[in-house]
Amino acid sequence: MLQKVIAFKNTKCECGHQNPVGTVLCESCGKPLDEEEQNSKEVLEMRYDGMARRSQRANPNIIDRIWNFFASVKIAVYMIILTLLGSMLGTIFPQENTFLNIDPSTYYKETYGTWGLIYYKLGLTHTYESWWFILLLVMIGASLVICSLDRVLPLYRALSKQQILKHMQFLTRQRVVYQGKIEGDAEEWVKQAAVPMKKKGYRVHTDGNALLAEKYRFSRWGPYVIHIGLIIFLLAVLARGLPGLKMDQHIAFPEGEIKHIPNTSYYLKNEKFTVEFYSEEDMPEEFRNQGKVLPKLFNTKATLYHCTADCDDPTKEPKLEAVARHDIQVNDPLDYKGLKAYQFDYDLTPVLRSVSPSLVDAKTGKELGKFKLDIKNPQRNYTAGDYSLELKEKYNDFGLDENGRPVTKTPNPNAPAFLFLIKGPNLPASGMQYIYFPKQIDKERFQQDAINEKMNGGTPPLMLDVKGMENVDFSMSTTYLNIRVDKVMPFIWVGAAIVMIGLVLGFYWQHRRIWLRIDDGVLTLGAHTNKNWFGIRREISAILKKMNLDVDEKSLDNGGKHA
Amino acid sequence: MNDLLSISSNMFVVAFFLYCAAFILFAVALMGRRWSNRDPVAHSKKWGKIAFIGSALGFIFHLIFFVTRWIGGGHIPVSNMYEFMSFLSMMVMFAFTVVYLIYRKTLLGLFAVPISIIIMAYAAVFPQEVQPLIPSLQSYWLKIHVTLAAAGESFFAIGFAAGFMYLIRTVDFKSKDKKAKRQQRWVEVVFFSVILVISFIATVFIFRAAGYESVFTQTKVTGQPGAEQTVTQTVSYKLPPIVGPYQSKVVSYEPFLGMTKPLFNAPSWMNGVNAGRKFNTIIWSFITGIILYAVLRLIARKPLGRAASPMMEGIDPDDLDEISYRAIAIGFPVFTLGALIFAMIWAEIAWGTFWSWDPKEVWALICWLFYSAYLHLRLSRGWQGGKSAWLSVIGFLVVMFTLVGVNLVIAGLHSYAGVD
Repeated sequence: MLQKVIAFKNTKCECGHQNPVGTVLCESCGKPLDEEEQNSKEVLEMRYDGMARRSQRANPNIIDRIWNFFASVKIAVYMIILTLLGSMLGTIFPQENTFLNIDPSTYYKETYGTWGLIYYKLGLTHTYESWWFILLLVMIGASLVICSLDRVLPLYRALSKQQILKHMQFLTRQRVVYQGKIEGDAEEWVKQAAVPMKKKGYRVHTDGNALLAEKYRFSRWGPYVIHIGLIIFLLAVLARGLPGLKMDQHIAFPEGEIKHIPNTSYYLKNEKFTVEFYSEEDMPEEFRNQGKVLPKLFNTKATLYHCTADCDDPTKEPKLEAVARHDIQVNDPLDYKGLKAYQFDYDLTPVLRSVSPSLVDAKTGKELGKFKLDIKNPQRNYTAGDYSLELKEKYNDFGLDENGRPVTKTPNPNAPAFLFLIKGPNLPASGMQYIYFPKQIDKERFQQDAINEKMNGGTPPLMLDVKGMENVDFSMSTTYLNIRVDKVMPFIWVGAAIVMIGLVLGFYWQHRRIWLRIDDGVLTLGAHTNKNWFGIRREISAILKKMNLDVDEKSLDNGGKHA
Repeated sequence: MNDLLSISSNMFVVAFFLYCAAFILFAVALMGRRWSNRDPVAHSKKWGKIAFIGSALGFIFHLIFFVTRWIGGGHIPVSNMYEFMSFLSMMVMFAFTVVYLIYRKTLLGLFAVPISIIIMAYAAVFPQEVQPLIPSLQSYWLKIHVTLAAAGESFFAIGFAAGFMYLIRTVDFKSKDKKAKRQQRWVEVVFFSVILVISFIATVFIFRAAGYESVFTQTKVTGQPGAEQTVTQTVSYKLPPIVGPYQSKVVSYEPFLGMTKPLFNAPSWMNGVNAGRKFNTIIWSFITGIILYAVLRLIARKPLGRAASPMMEGIDPDDLDEISYRAIAIGFPVFTLGALIFAMIWAEIAWGTFWSWDPKEVWALICWLFYSAYLHLRLSRGWQGGKSAWLSVIGFLVVMFTLVGVNLVIAGLHSYAGVD
């Protein structure tokens, strides 16, 4: 409605300037255009210097309407409040991504009861990935762009073509106003007044008996700089959802083993993992006798390798080149060309890596040969002295099914077992079957000797035996690293930095303008700032004092709302 | 405890009492204006100055506390709830000093200093020993992120103080119309909330001084039927248990006012081992809070808002509005940098992701969104005066929930910060 009314109004000011539709204050002299406004004595609305904005267009079409919707600060505040409330909902129960392995469909009901189930059913267990939350972020992004454009362009135009001599009404209806008699020549007085203003950092423009002093205009761009930063930030956040820009995996690295990082051409070796705890003396008294342990340091000495050749050929060993070495600690990740490895977790359970058993004559105890058996990647054939061993079967986690047949229960190497076919002197031509458990505890638990007797119809003539601990190779610990690549991070930081610059510009400086004119020995002064009215009143009081006018700071206050 | 640390804890006490003295002096500056044979303006100027010197002295001792604890403890004292809250109260005094130096309004001290006192007393509820840093806290970002976040938040506290003063000054406490009535009621609610916090602290200290303790064991059964696991945990209550933990047995119960067992046990949804104890603390805070509030009402013989409003007479409400807004405007960029951007940088270094929707992070974001809504409403929609003052009050409640509530109610990656 209002827009229709404006549309039929004459927008030509008495000073002769033709203003666009929607203008509140004449772009040139600052006189209010609306007749009702002209008769009022209220303080003027100085937002965007009273310029017309695109969102005030008459007869809006569909695009204008969308524009108007997103250009509205009211709508923007609603969206901020909705995002705020949505974020709150997401903190009632832990989000799904807080856990590494849970089944959300049962977890929430079991842990939190009916409320947990409702929470899950409403989709709030993944609030921040839900469509409505992302839609809100996108809409805030749109609002940031359109709100800014709608305001910054008219504001820029207004500030870049300012008239020095303003209409009387414009001056007396500012929030900071002074009127009083002055002595002497008007033009001389204006020249004199410019001196203390310049000293306070104002840029002063004079036009006969009129003056315009302005400083810190850049502060007006602060909000828009903030918004640009936020747009970059939001775009970067949304871009993280695109495939290929982000990698996030948790990998276990047993000590001393070079392990491939899936989907990359990198390999990482955990040279040594260390964990340290605070000693009793380091702990405060109340912790001491409670058996509480407080970790002091987690450190993975890591070497990162880059594969240079034979990377995808399973028959060949990949050629590796060490590219980075780093002591990975909790606050100190390895970082190589955007590939980052973070200390995440650890496990101090020793893991058997390889054994070197000897082939022994069961009767005489004579050693016939020795070979090295890699638990994880055994070879198909081994030779020990004059004998050859063929690996027929490998069980990672040995067990027996209901029919008594050997099976692998899980892929984890909890109870490794190896079935060999041994051929050589004094053995049948078809060879001899032999099952071997490298771990002593499994040997007893699964009765290795009994199985071998059964397979060979009596005590086998040969056996495998590890002679001494030097033939056993353990990895003492396992470190869990979080391997990440996040290609949008630079944009996140750039966005954040721009936001900060905008905040500092906008909040720690204020755009101040002072207009004055002298008519028949009467000085009329009006001043405007976008923030901190207290400060500008104090400043003007000090300037007037220099001109021998004693004016109380508070008396300059012409009322109105203090933005 | 080494020498520096014992000096440090003495400085804490000295600062605390200096703040209390400064608070009384501010009250003298304000209320003494109407005492006979004196010029009210000169009186409040003189006593306001004395009060400010008192508070500044308190701040210096507080600073000594901080520095000696830093040196004595070997790391910056912001790593647990006691240290963080002490630091926050120091920053509130810092923010007050900054705003005072800009506006020279002594009266602000009457509301700003008690905020600092209450936060400081709240700090003392928590264990005070220096704890060694766990690996995730061993970073210089601990210094930068935590201190700057606290600085931003303390300006919001000053915004709250001035906003609340504005409300006491401008709400019409005599009017009977609907809008005024509603405002009066909410001012009382704010007063009551502050009293609730004070009575919580007082209750804890009274029973601690008396050495009160009752112990329970809670048996919890988890897992699927047929494969249940039973966990038994002991819970020690330092306040007389009105409510026991869910499914618990009394091990020892120190009788209190004839009570020899809890009146009831916590409901099943409060099945966490400490949930019953926390619920009990809340009940106690309400009981003592209501008593304290009733006593104050009896002394004042009218609602506290109405009793306080004559103190504000002669203060320009526009100044209060301006101070409240300015404090928030100063704090907002600091908060953004400290609580969000530096937090993101640290999270990126420590956890490998700049943002993980951890409850504490989300609540910091909520604070930020709240204050950005405040700024938009004020700058573009003309929400000044009363509306703006209410927002500054609510905003500070959101900040306090982020700092305290999240640690007590919602646990997350930041949960190590809260011990109790």
